[in-house]
Amino acid sequence: MTNKDRLRALLQDVFLLTDGEFRFDLKREDVDTWDSFGVVSLAVGVQQTFGYHFTPEEASGLTGVADIIAVLESHGIRFDD
Amino acid sequence: MIAVREPHTTSDLSRLDEAWAAPETFAIVPDKSPIDGDALVSAAQLLPVELRHDHFIMMTSGSTGEPKLVIGNRERAAALARVLHARQDSEAVRETIAMLPLSYTFAFVNQWVWARVLERRFVQTGGLANASTLRAALTSARNAMVCLVGAQVPLLLDAFPDDAFPGVIRIHFAGGRFPQERLGDVSRLFPCADVFNNYGCAEAMPRLTIRRASDAGVAEHVGWPLPGVELRCDAADAMFFRSAFGAVGVIEGGVFRSISSEDWVATGDLGQQSADGAWRLLGRAGDVFKRHGEKVSPLVLLEAATSAWRGGLACYRDVDAFGEPGCVLTLSPPPDADSVRRLLGAVRRHLRRAQWPLRIECVDTMPLLPSGKPDVQAIGSAPSRRVLWKQYL
Repeated sequence: MTNKDRLRALLQDVFLLTDGEFRFDLKREDVDTWDSFGVVSLAVGVQQTFGYHFTPEEASGLTGVADIIAVLESHGIRFDD
Repeated sequence: MIAVREPHTTSDLSRLDEAWAAPETFAIVPDKSPIDGDALVSAAQLLPVELRHDHFIMMTSGSTGEPKLVIGNRERAAALARVLHARQDSEAVRETIAMLPLSYTFAFVNQWVWARVLERRFVQTGGLANASTLRAALTSARNAMVCLVGAQVPLLLDAFPDDAFPGVIRIHFAGGRFPQERLGDVSRLFPCADVFNNYGCAEAMPRLTIRRASDAGVAEHVGWPLPGVELRCDAADAMFFRSAFGAVGVIEGGVFRSISSEDWVATGDLGQQSADGAWRLLGRAGDVFKRHGEKVSPLVLLEAATSAWRGGLACYRDVDAFGEPGCVLTLSPPPDADSVRRLLGAVRRHLRRAQWPLRIECVDTMPLLPSGKPDVQAIGSAPSRRVLWKQYL
């Protein structure tokens, strides 16, 4: 499983997104379940899946899936596989 | 006091008949009773003299799980049976087939006492523990009534996938969530039956409200109070009743507590009354809790889940990694991936995130209590239990 697959599965579980709803260019405002609880859940899920713990500022400042990838890549987690 | 072991077949009923006809108060003792004979005799010593005759004693686990003895009056039970007969339009019913243990107040009053008072035939079966005997009884039924709990519906469909029992003309549900979403399945099994949702509790001995299935579209709608029954709720929605048919006392923790016909007694549920006088359940009083400051009711979660899942379903409390309480949803039999996705879709559509389950799990076979309700204590130790989805919290 690639990191993209892992991230996709994680985000579908955290935000209860269907296969058809998920896209890598999704914005936070596109996802009704990306609420304050969702931010916390996403941070815990990323930590458990990728071993990186978002700072509170990073977690609350995410504007979409692309931001998640950018933060993780900046910490050495590659998504070009 | 006379102790009567719960009967398993119609031929076992003579002891119960004798006990009802005798003046001495008797107790129905379940097979797996948490109270042994000596404890029962000790408990009987707590009864006031006036309750040592013409009464009967039922055992219940109680809302706290601690065994409780509930004392009923035979005349009151007989009067309730007559009221139920009228409200359930039961004149055409000639017999009743028991699929629940008679130590269960629902089966005892709604079926055994009813049959005795209205001079109808009473057929005791071993329920789904002996499916072939049950099938024979249901197949030969003529203008029959049965009493069920909602959890039995998927089990009946599993046991009798190709059967229909047109001889059953009345079905009463009580003792758990009404299977509103499964009425089509109920109708397939019992094509000629009128279905009723009954609500009550052991202290009500046992009925408080009733409605026909067709009178409402949601399981939580439990209908209107029976004649002789009053219901109210307090500011926190806790429901209380006063009934001409209710229990006259309770023995719990070695203490006897009298219940007078003037006392308001807690049902253990939260509810609201609508403008037309009907009642709607909001959850068990002890079950509703706060998660991240929001009220969470397992009943609401089960309602959402049943819109997308037709198998067995149970809900129990756990805590997340932050120590916040939440519900775990358990399914049986194990669902396929599409079913899990549909269920998660229903959770997202119907519930705020605080109400989402902490996990969705499955077990091969749902452990059940003798009453037919899911045994949530046993789910945690079920060897086949596995997690299908979880919240990252």
